[in-house]
Amino acid sequence: MDPTEAVRIALRSIRSHKLRSTLTVVGLVIGIASVIVFATFGASVKAEVITDIEGSSANNIYVFATPEDDEGFDQVIQPVFTERDVSELEGLSGVTNVIPRGTVDANSLTHGNDTIARQRVTATTPDTFDEGSVVAGRGFRSGANEVVLNERAARSFDGNVTVGDRLTLSLAENRTAELTVVGIVNGTAGQLPVSDFAEQARVYVPVDPFYRTVVESPSVGVRQRAYPQVTVVTDPTTTEATQAAVESYLREESDARQLLPEGATLTARTSGDFVAQVASVIERITRFVTGVAVIGLVVGAIGIANIMLVSVTERTREIGVMKAVGARNRDVLVLFLVEAGLLGAIGAVLALPVGLVVGYAATRYAEVTFALAPVWMVTAVVVGVVVGVVAGLYPAWRAARVDPIDALRYE
Amino acid sequence: MSSADAATDDTAPVVELTGVTKTYDMGGVVEALAGVSLALSEGSYTAVMGPSGSGKSTLLNLIGALDTPTEGRVVVAGQDVGTATEAERASLRGTDVGFVFQTFNLLPRLTAVENVALPLVFAGVPRAERTASARELLADVGLGDRTDHHPTELSGGQRQRVAIARALAADPALVLADEPTGNVDTDTGGRVLDIFDDLHARGNTLLLVTHERHVAERAERIVHVRDGELVRIEDLGEESD
Repeated sequence: MDPTEAVRIALRSIRSHKLRSTLTVVGLVIGIASVIVFATFGASVKAEVITDIEGSSANNIYVFATPEDDEGFDQVIQPVFTERDVSELEGLSGVTNVIPRGTVDANSLTHGNDTIARQRVTATTPDTFDEGSVVAGRGFRSGANEVVLNERAARSFDGNVTVGDRLTLSLAENRTAELTVVGIVNGTAGQLPVSDFAEQARVYVPVDPFYRTVVESPSVGVRQRAYPQVTVVTDPTTTEATQAAVESYLREESDARQLLPEGATLTARTSGDFVAQVASVIERITRFVTGVAVIGLVVGAIGIANIMLVSVTERTREIGVMKAVGARNRDVLVLFLVEAGLLGAIGAVLALPVGLVVGYAATRYAEVTFALAPVWMVTAVVVGVVVGVVAGLYPAWRAARVDPIDALRYE
Repeated sequence: MSSADAATDDTAPVVELTGVTKTYDMGGVVEALAGVSLALSEGSYTAVMGPSGSGKSTLLNLIGALDTPTEGRVVVAGQDVGTATEAERASLRGTDVGFVFQTFNLLPRLTAVENVALPLVFAGVPRAERTASARELLADVGLGDRTDHHPTELSGGQRQRVAIARALAADPALVLADEPTGNVDTDTGGRVLDIFDDLHARGNTLLLVTHERHVAERAERIVHVRDGELVRIEDLGEESD
């Protein structure tokens, strides 16, 4: 029997039970569409996050100490990078800038009559401010009593803080500092990429004179400032080579390697490393959620199997007639498999636009840019057809085995 | 019984049963046919009569290659039904045998012409070709104007004529009819039998199962079956009409 005829007969049979076929297909559409929705949404979130990270700082290498067994990048622990390390890193080829970053313990920050509690402020160097991120004013100068706020911090006072305002910073040990607000920024260079997500209020002061964490440099023998984190800004064309050089310096020559506490390790990560890490986390979550959606697909498959079994029983006599006029077992098998496969294919084809529309709506709702997951889309459609055929296997086998003599007697 | 031999002419018979036994295991062994031998020569018109349970349906199923014998040989159009594979028997049913059933057994979703063409679908005949020959066959049985109707839109007699056209679709060596007039009124039944007469006149080999004497009398000879055995072959002689 030629395949087009099998399709024609199968289509006719599907059409003859419109409601039943529709409900079966709807079940499958829900299954396949939810797979597409979750896969699309996951791909969109991933693309968005990657763009966020890469856009800001593709040429940054983040250097910090982490506990050895921790894969994460959130546990910046000890101030181990000395002034000497900073200047040595600056000397490496391909390095354009080295931005140390530390925290200064604080109590509160006062603007006019408005005082807000503040446990720490960020101490860093003027290089941290690039033109793109300065919203108003300028970066602070080293050695000056100047402060820069990010937008969120500027908003956290009752009256908005603007450039030129004066702030009183109350530090630990009852020290206070009168600071002039010289700039409002929107993010800074040298900030860990992931911290973009939590839009925290941030207050920046110059390392000189506010940062007072010092250790004795083992190589130079004098007490120097030491920072828990350093960002190496590189020439974008040589980031990888520079990363290797930074790592080798850290491993072989740095003060940090000697100051490092037991069980900690030095890490130099590029934005790309962060991207890979974040992407793999999102991917894992997406896979899990999509896997849950696959349950819907299985339910849809059971629907097809169920309806095909009913169909075989109903059409027993018809099968007998077909066999009496020359249908082989194989022909009957093919007819029913084609019918089940067609139900699957119709479901898959309808699920594609449904999944994409709902996926798009989900990305709009979550305010991320819509991205396609083409592999998942193709997979969903193929799986739909395969699911139909597999679900039809047993019913079709039953149909093929119908004894024509019994079937012709069957009422 | 010498009439079985008498029916054999110089060419090989279309159907030849030799010592055929068929038993069913239904809790106990039931013997539906016990050592039946019968030959149908080409162009012959045979009726099988017997009460229900006599084994005539079993006989028909064996000759129609729907079933295989427990013992003995059933040869249809030169092929041994007992040793044929499932696929070979299917193709035998499709191309060498045409069935006409008491209850018509048309597929409800197919039009008349599609029903007639169905055996050709499984025989692998291209669509245009099989549709053309199906139309022709329907015209032959007087349904040239009903080709695109569904079975439910046809009367009982018309359905049976569609079924006859379907039985002829593959130009089979043998047409088997199981109580073809059982589900239609007497007038319509008469017209159905007229068509069989026509087919006979055109040289088709016919085997008709019935329990009605007047239907059986349209044939050349009547084979009487009782309790699984062939009890008598009644030769009605050459009719001239």
